[in-house]
Amino acid sequence: MSGITSADLDTAWDVAVDDAPVALSAQGDLVAVAGAEGTVWVLDIATGATTRALDLPGGLLDVALAPDARHLAATGPFGYALWRRDDGLTTVSQTGAWSSRAIWADEGRVAIASGRRALVLDPDGGELWSTETAASTVTDVAWMRNGRRLAVAAYGAVCCYERHSRTPVVTYPYVGSHLALAISSTGRWICSGNQDASIHIWRTRDGSELTMSGYPEKVSRLAFDDTGTWLAADGAPDVTVWDFSGKGPAGTAPRSLSAHETITALTWRPGSAGHLASGGEDGTIALWHATSGLPQARLSPARTLDGGGAVTALAWAGPDLLIAAHRDGRVRAHRLPQRTRL
Amino acid sequence: MSEPTSAPQTADAADAEDGRVPVTVLTGFLGSGKTTLVNRILTEQHGLRIAVIENEFGEVGIDDALVLDAEEEIFEMNNGCICCTVRGDLIRILGALMRKRDRFDHILIETTGLADPAPVAQTFFMDDEIAAQLRLDAIVTLVDAAHLLQHLDEVKPEGVENEAVEQIAFADRVVLNKTDLVRQETIDEVVSRIRAVNALVEIIPAQHAEIDLRRVLDVGAFDLDRVLKDDPAFLTETEHQHDATVTSVGIDVPGELDEDRLNGWLGNLLRTKGADIFRSKGIVAIAGESRQYVFQGVHMLLDGEFGRDWREDETRRNRLVFIGRNLDREALERAFADCLTTAGTTAGTAA
Repeated sequence: MSGITSADLDTAWDVAVDDAPVALSAQGDLVAVAGAEGTVWVLDIATGATTRALDLPGGLLDVALAPDARHLAATGPFGYALWRRDDGLTTVSQTGAWSSRAIWADEGRVAIASGRRALVLDPDGGELWSTETAASTVTDVAWMRNGRRLAVAAYGAVCCYERHSRTPVVTYPYVGSHLALAISSTGRWICSGNQDASIHIWRTRDGSELTMSGYPEKVSRLAFDDTGTWLAADGAPDVTVWDFSGKGPAGTAPRSLSAHETITALTWRPGSAGHLASGGEDGTIALWHATSGLPQARLSPARTLDGGGAVTALAWAGPDLLIAAHRDGRVRAHRLPQRTRL
Repeated sequence: MSEPTSAPQTADAADAEDGRVPVTVLTGFLGSGKTTLVNRILTEQHGLRIAVIENEFGEVGIDDALVLDAEEEIFEMNNGCICCTVRGDLIRILGALMRKRDRFDHILIETTGLADPAPVAQTFFMDDEIAAQLRLDAIVTLVDAAHLLQHLDEVKPEGVENEAVEQIAFADRVVLNKTDLVRQETIDEVVSRIRAVNALVEIIPAQHAEIDLRRVLDVGAFDLDRVLKDDPAFLTETEHQHDATVTSVGIDVPGELDEDRLNGWLGNLLRTKGADIFRSKGIVAIAGESRQYVFQGVHMLLDGEFGRDWREDETRRNRLVFIGRNLDREALERAFADCLTTAGTTAGTAA
């Protein structure tokens, strides 16, 4: 393996939480760590010190800090919780419904998957609007059009909703179960990672479709970079990176990033340099010039970090700090040299 | 694993310690005693940390157990293949369980009375994340001795499967409950009808679902060496045959198999008849291979690996069983005989 293979990046901090982390969120001066059993630890981004902890009974699946870091949404198998930083008030909604995802449109609105619907809430938990019932439990949600449109993935379709209409404004049907949703920042592409080991792609302009099949396993992690031209996906030991520039990836081959046996986390570094961080079941974190080389190229990491226990989540706190959570409870902040280098 | 319609290819899993968490699937009609059995499993002192996934909402935590609710979500795939139908709710819930730091010792999935066991079983073949960490230990079907015959005889509309028949066909263990409520003749009749569908299944008589839990939890029912060695006679026994469309066909033939021909036959059989074959299991001798080849399948999905070495003094033989609808015993036996290395010289003979 070429590249630098040592842990010579500065570790800004290294802390441990008393659980297996399942999700991370970094915004402003905070990092939120969601533990599988139900505790969210809110850490100071400079030191890693726990500033607050809150609980969602029954466990956690996702956590999301608002862009201004003044609120936090946490979701789990039995409901969701909202936390207000100003006075520490935590509002727990034990709906009994499976909530797999929370994602903020802006500092004033958060979308929460709740059973077979998605809810749009104000930061204190007031319901602004909600979607109709999907064919299955909602698996993922994503905002489009600067937070005016909400895409909701479930079995059989990705449905897009807007506030004025309870029924979908656009429906993108597909026979299969969508596990993950990624929408390009350009708004041109909607992609779903699927249980049937494929990526399904819709061009929003005309609804034309494309399926990338042939993955050995289900595709449950999928992410566009900030420019909306590069899509990274799991579903194989190698991370695949598809080029969505121009007419899109039809007829092209992806780049393959080879470092892990089983991919457990994927996240693009903020910016347009094509830098990607990935994590593996074996505890390795790899950093990539993911868009270099030619299509079909098999790339090696620019750098790998050995973290110990399986990586369970990765999050960038700006372009220079990568937060990594490991199943053994370790949470580390790795400081990168500068935004143009890995 | 889970390569549809492929035979010997995953080798070397022989004696590797299987650290995967065992999963028991509990099926059975409403009133068969499933809830009673689940409650026994939750409350009895067995020292196991158990997670129960059931269909009634109950956020109950009893001692070391966790009870989760699952509303059946059947996911079909774009290719329209029935074998690719899985339970989305289970994938989701099991996925979350596996992300916890402390592992459960055992997972119990209780299905609704009318649930089709196939998507449940197929979930363990089709989803690699689950297959890597969890092991389908046994499908346990509870039946009510007093009502089973009525359920089995219920005439369904064309194209609709009788769920009671299906649940018996898929079972590795049948708990014959409420035997205190019927006469011995009825029990005999019920047992015979169960065997007609599923010749190899272990039948455990019970009253008030009182059974030794060791007979249904972590029994390794998918450990075929045990299943098939119990009583090879069952494999070819025909006297139990009832005029049922769902039956078992057992094959027990000495000799060695040509790997390519076995692959070709089994692949083609499951591809063309997989919709009708609920379960398939086998331990066979491949020519030139020192180890037994062990496989099991659910509809079109087959999972196989090389098992233990054949012993010096052991006759190399092939034991297979198919449980399914409209099985043609003679055609299966004939086609299988063609896979023997001796085929063409001396015809394979059924034991």
